[in-house]
Amino acid sequence: MPWEYSEKVLQLFREAVQGSGGTHMGELEAPDGFGEHGSIVCGDALRFAFRVKRHPTDPTRDIITEAHYLTFGCTSAIAASEALCCVLEKQAKTPLEALRITNQDLIDYLGGLPDQKIHCSVMGAEALKAAVIDWAKKRGVDLSGYLPTQLERQEEGRLVCKCFSVSEPYLRRKIRELQLHSVEAITNALKAGGGCGACRYAPGGLKDLLDECWGTISESEAVAETPVAPEPLSPYQLGKKVEQIIETVIRPLLQRDGGDIELIDIKGQQVYCRLIGACATCPGSAQTFKLLVEQKLKEEFSEQLQLIAV
Amino acid sequence: MRTIYVDNNATTAIAPEVLEVMQPYFTSEYFNPSSMYTAAQSTAAAIRQARETIANCLNAGAPEQLLFTGSATESNNSALFGTVQANSQRHHVITTAVEHPSVLEVCKELQRRGLEVDFLPVNRQGELEMRDYVKALRRDTLLVTIMLANNETGVCYPVAELVRIAKETDPQIIFHTDATQAIGKLPVDLQGDLRHVDLLSFSGHKLHAPKGVGALFVRRGTRWQPFILGGHQERGLRAGTENVPYIVGLAKACELAVAGVDEEQTRVRQLRDRLQSALYECIPALEVNGSEAQRLPNTLNLAIHGIEGEAILFELSRYGICASSGSACTSGSLDPSHVLKAMAVPFTAIHGSLRISLSRYNDEQDVKRIIEVLPEIVANLRKLSPYWDDQRNCLKV
Repeated sequence: MPWEYSEKVLQLFREAVQGSGGTHMGELEAPDGFGEHGSIVCGDALRFAFRVKRHPTDPTRDIITEAHYLTFGCTSAIAASEALCCVLEKQAKTPLEALRITNQDLIDYLGGLPDQKIHCSVMGAEALKAAVIDWAKKRGVDLSGYLPTQLERQEEGRLVCKCFSVSEPYLRRKIRELQLHSVEAITNALKAGGGCGACRYAPGGLKDLLDECWGTISESEAVAETPVAPEPLSPYQLGKKVEQIIETVIRPLLQRDGGDIELIDIKGQQVYCRLIGACATCPGSAQTFKLLVEQKLKEEFSEQLQLIAV
Repeated sequence: MRTIYVDNNATTAIAPEVLEVMQPYFTSEYFNPSSMYTAAQSTAAAIRQARETIANCLNAGAPEQLLFTGSATESNNSALFGTVQANSQRHHVITTAVEHPSVLEVCKELQRRGLEVDFLPVNRQGELEMRDYVKALRRDTLLVTIMLANNETGVCYPVAELVRIAKETDPQIIFHTDATQAIGKLPVDLQGDLRHVDLLSFSGHKLHAPKGVGALFVRRGTRWQPFILGGHQERGLRAGTENVPYIVGLAKACELAVAGVDEEQTRVRQLRDRLQSALYECIPALEVNGSEAQRLPNTLNLAIHGIEGEAILFELSRYGICASSGSACTSGSLDPSHVLKAMAVPFTAIHGSLRISLSRYNDEQDVKRIIEVLPEIVANLRKLSPYWDDQRNCLKV
């Protein structure tokens, strides 16, 4: 789709790309605070660093003097990085004050961002937070009063969106912080759900997290998009799946002992099989059938499934 | 500023000759070709003539095997759904991982409806492995659908060979090919090497006709049933009042395209190759996706390491250069191109893809201008990138 960027986004992007004076593009050597967010795999990444003028006795009164960034990403990702540095200079003197800067501040500075580019501003705010945490570590400042209880940048926990490696605790925190009320809003802000989309309506996925956070009626799309219960397998599909399980799971096991299995027929829930090779003459073959083959098939399908030896 | 249009795999400029033949059908010759009065005979005749012209262009034999549609997307939908509806006894479909979404998404829908679909992988060059294809063919295979040429990379697939293997395995297997990117760039002969292809789709706007018109070739005797119902037009095979001016335009465009295949294969190919080698020389860490495969003569898909495609496009557009990218930011989702992912383009370059696709309207000047501006754009963006080592001029690992 064509670009719908504000004048400010365009201006900041152009200045950065042309390396005009006054931009904050570049690296800082031995920075006092350094933070990263995103990765090249995800399509955008920001490496952010600042330097402070150290206060002789009280590190919380350190003054930020310089901020720089390197960004891999689209037009708005680059502009948002530049905005981060500008806002920082305008609004904050100390790193602790910088923690109050949110992604909305960056959006405002940019004169707005298209919905699907909101994540560019989140990337800026997250990299800034990471850099302040780094500074605090170096300067021995306790941030516990300034950050939410979990201050880890990449909260540990179950991965909800595997495409963009977004964890459950992070999502829970961000849904509240950024006031995200729909799956689409989550994707726009955090990218989660923007890849394969499998986590959007899966159990424990984005929709479930939203419901948990805001109560169940959080978005109208849920009505239309609730997945319909899968149809029971047709005999044909059942046959194909049984074959596949025999091929990939059962046969290799039997073949280790010099045996094999032949699928003769499937009628409804009854599967007709024949053991062949070493297994056919083995005194324990009835056991093998019940224990191994039927068990496996029941696990994969239903308890009603019946294995019939031929 | 002059526009340098090098996004011809997305759409093309309408040829002046095409526009000219279309004009009367917007003004004086507006009659519904199904109407009874004498005046309507001219529009009915125009459609008949257009069908014959296109049949000749593709050496298709009987013109009635060609149906006019609204787009290649409609043609692909009709081909696939119409084949599946007419063959309920078989349940297996073979396609590739790199088809156009109008095939890929239909195949996924077929999967949801209970059919089994094999999405064949491609190698690093974007080519199919014959072994995978042969292995995928089954006793209950109903349909094979594989494109002639890929829209993103220009990589061509050996459809003549693929259809022969399918038909030797089982003559009942129905073979469809999406020829949207191929017509006008490759010879397409439906009574020659493609004589066993059952269904073939294409559209007008990739060959200098307007958007909103396409065609579907359905070989006589193919077990296929109409997908769009509600009228006797196209002998009941595709309902809907014929889009007369566009159909006339499509025929003219086909004539020009087929006559232009030689130019495409020589002059346009030279332009593309010159562009490719010049860019290789002045841009470090550059790859050409599908460079070792059989490729369309007009397509150049670059993998530029360490930077992102949307930013490149944006900079190019400042110079009036129109191209496209498979990066996540331009794909409409947050995922990069499914084609480049299937080719396992390295993660340092998959977001930095740039597709330049030429046409017969491009010239030496256009190519020169791209060579002038692109290397600098790339260098500037790399200065901003945390993954680029500016001192050593290479990718940071």
